[in-house]
Amino acid sequence: MSEIIIDVQNLSKMYRLGTIGTGSFRQDLQRWVSTNILKKEEPFFQGHGVNADGMDGNDLWALNNVSFDVKKGEVLGIIGNNGSGKSTLLKIISRIVRPTQGFVRGNGKVSSLLEVGTGFHNELTGRENIFISGYTLGMSRDEIRRKFDEIVAFSGIEKFIDTPVKRYSSGMYVRLAFSVAAHLEPDILIVDEVLAVGDNDFQKKCLGKMNEIAQTDGRTILFVSHSMQAVNTLCTKALWLQNGNVKEWGTANDIVNKYVASVQKHRLQQEWDTIENAPGNDNIRVKSVEIVPHLNNPNDMIDIRTALTFKFQFWNLQEHVNISARILLFSYTGECVFNVLSPIVNCFKPGILEGECTIPGNFLNDGSYYISMNFLKDSATHLLDFNECVSFDMEDYRGDLQWFGKWWGAVRPQFPVHLEQKEMVLDV
Amino acid sequence: MVAEEKKKWEWEISNQSSYWGTHFTEIWAYRHLLSSLVRRDFLVNYQQTILGPAWMLLQPVLTLVTYALIFGRLVGLSTGSLPPLLFYFSGIILWNFFNDSFGGTNNVFRDNTQVFNKVYFPRLVVPIAIMCTRFIRFGISLFLLLLMIGYYMAFKDFSPNFSSWLLALPVVVLAVGAMSLGLGLAFSVITAKYRDISGFVSLGTRLLMFATPVIYPVLSLPEDVRWIVHLNPLTPLFELFRLSLLGEGVVSYDMLFYSLAFSFLVLVVSLLLFNKKGDSLIDIV
Repeated sequence: MSEIIIDVQNLSKMYRLGTIGTGSFRQDLQRWVSTNILKKEEPFFQGHGVNADGMDGNDLWALNNVSFDVKKGEVLGIIGNNGSGKSTLLKIISRIVRPTQGFVRGNGKVSSLLEVGTGFHNELTGRENIFISGYTLGMSRDEIRRKFDEIVAFSGIEKFIDTPVKRYSSGMYVRLAFSVAAHLEPDILIVDEVLAVGDNDFQKKCLGKMNEIAQTDGRTILFVSHSMQAVNTLCTKALWLQNGNVKEWGTANDIVNKYVASVQKHRLQQEWDTIENAPGNDNIRVKSVEIVPHLNNPNDMIDIRTALTFKFQFWNLQEHVNISARILLFSYTGECVFNVLSPIVNCFKPGILEGECTIPGNFLNDGSYYISMNFLKDSATHLLDFNECVSFDMEDYRGDLQWFGKWWGAVRPQFPVHLEQKEMVLDV
Repeated sequence: MVAEEKKKWEWEISNQSSYWGTHFTEIWAYRHLLSSLVRRDFLVNYQQTILGPAWMLLQPVLTLVTYALIFGRLVGLSTGSLPPLLFYFSGIILWNFFNDSFGGTNNVFRDNTQVFNKVYFPRLVVPIAIMCTRFIRFGISLFLLLLMIGYYMAFKDFSPNFSSWLLALPVVVLAVGAMSLGLGLAFSVITAKYRDISGFVSLGTRLLMFATPVIYPVLSLPEDVRWIVHLNPLTPLFELFRLSLLGEGVVSYDMLFYSLAFSFLVLVVSLLLFNKKGDSLIDIV
């Protein structure tokens, strides 16, 4: 077990709503009189009754008794809805704001990247900004000089390095800013959503850099993101915040799946009685979609051995069309696992069509999935896209296997794998 | 387990803040940030101007011309036995030093919210950087004043009676610097919290200028209002400044002690206040 590098204990942060800041001079004076002269207890430090939204009268508890620890070399992803306290937590650990209660303690140098381009000044050239931004983020002069060429090369703007950054395109600005940040070498790195910048190529580069920092250098990273895929690939552990409370804390994959599953309730089936209220358009109206698991006991959980039949019915409202349906299965991180196409049906008159498709057991990996459908005319024109119509969870099943790590892979088929001992070497 | 509980933590963040706050070793670690902030200030201020750094000389000279015209010619204030231009210029550069330093440091929180909100470094680095730029600018103006004094001595028959008071010059500059930094830090904390006060602050500094012997010598005032000017801790410093450089000024040891003690006290109290309150202000600016 490696050592604990950050220890967070009962961390709480209260903001007062309504007026800016702590309010008027009169309120401050009242509080001062009651705490310092009348010796009443500071209202902050009494037990507080917080309801589900983290509200306590006019006070908002952005964080409420949050405790966790981070070990050296861990990459902790922090996830949660907007307003769940993620940024507040990062700000407290970065020493930008102070907690109302509780404490954070730790070892080593902390650098935080809460935005791209901290300390940048528009009038200065790229070269000057590399230095001033580096200093602001806590780099030393030697460190910046040593890495200067690397930073410039990473950003890919060698030609413009002596141009004021106000003449940069926003993309160039972001690349330079991120490059500086990517070359920080703290013991603990705190990152907030900075990956949501730049073009696709650059984002990949950034993710790669983060991966490199985390894996090869063994540095500790705290990472807030809304991209479940990024959290899944980068992080070893994850912390799920909800209304300022710790909802779940554990291995990244586990938490991401739980979080994602909670964001959208699973729907195994949907049905509409009449054409009028069914979803669709003038071409197609969906009547029903349903996942039927092949289970002996309907109360059993769907696990990776379970075969699933996806059934659907829809109204075709046109005459003389060649209709086919496409079924797409997505994992909850947004990757398409497969897409299959039905045969074409010639419809002379409007009417109801029905179809089904069975996903065999022992094929999908464990995780959360959803199905989207496309209805096509002549296998090419999209008549209707019906996205995320049903969703389900695949529970893990290991049988006798004595290993409980995350099973890798998009799918988990049971192809026969052959293994035998070819020859024996007796005298080694 | 016992060993783990005794484990030392390098840092701890809680709701406790101390008056002693930032350690000077921490500020030292950020010395390069400090120097680059100073550099930035000079680069940014004179970027895309034709005259560039010459503005640093031009600004006090233009003020001098205005003051000499208005107060010297139109109002006709007496400047004692000193040449009016030298008298005004010495007052102007010292006042500008005070005013710029105070004006810069007193908006530290409002001007830097963006950065303070995103990254941690000892907040004191910013006001110190501001003070450094103001010291440099003052040095340049002082150099100009010395040139003018030289010119007057060479061509205008001006012979100031230099005395050992010349040695007091650094004391004056440091005391004015300390007082402006002290007041600036104090008001940066106060105005961050109570915005309305910043309106009174700018009015107050303007009034303060007239209660300071910038454009008139103390001796030219009627006896019955002189006490107001003497209450102002800047007064002895301005008089001493002129006494040391131009050889004319009225200052007593009592008054000097009063303003030095005031500067020192203001600086110490404000530093303590800044340390104590600085970290929690980011929630409200």
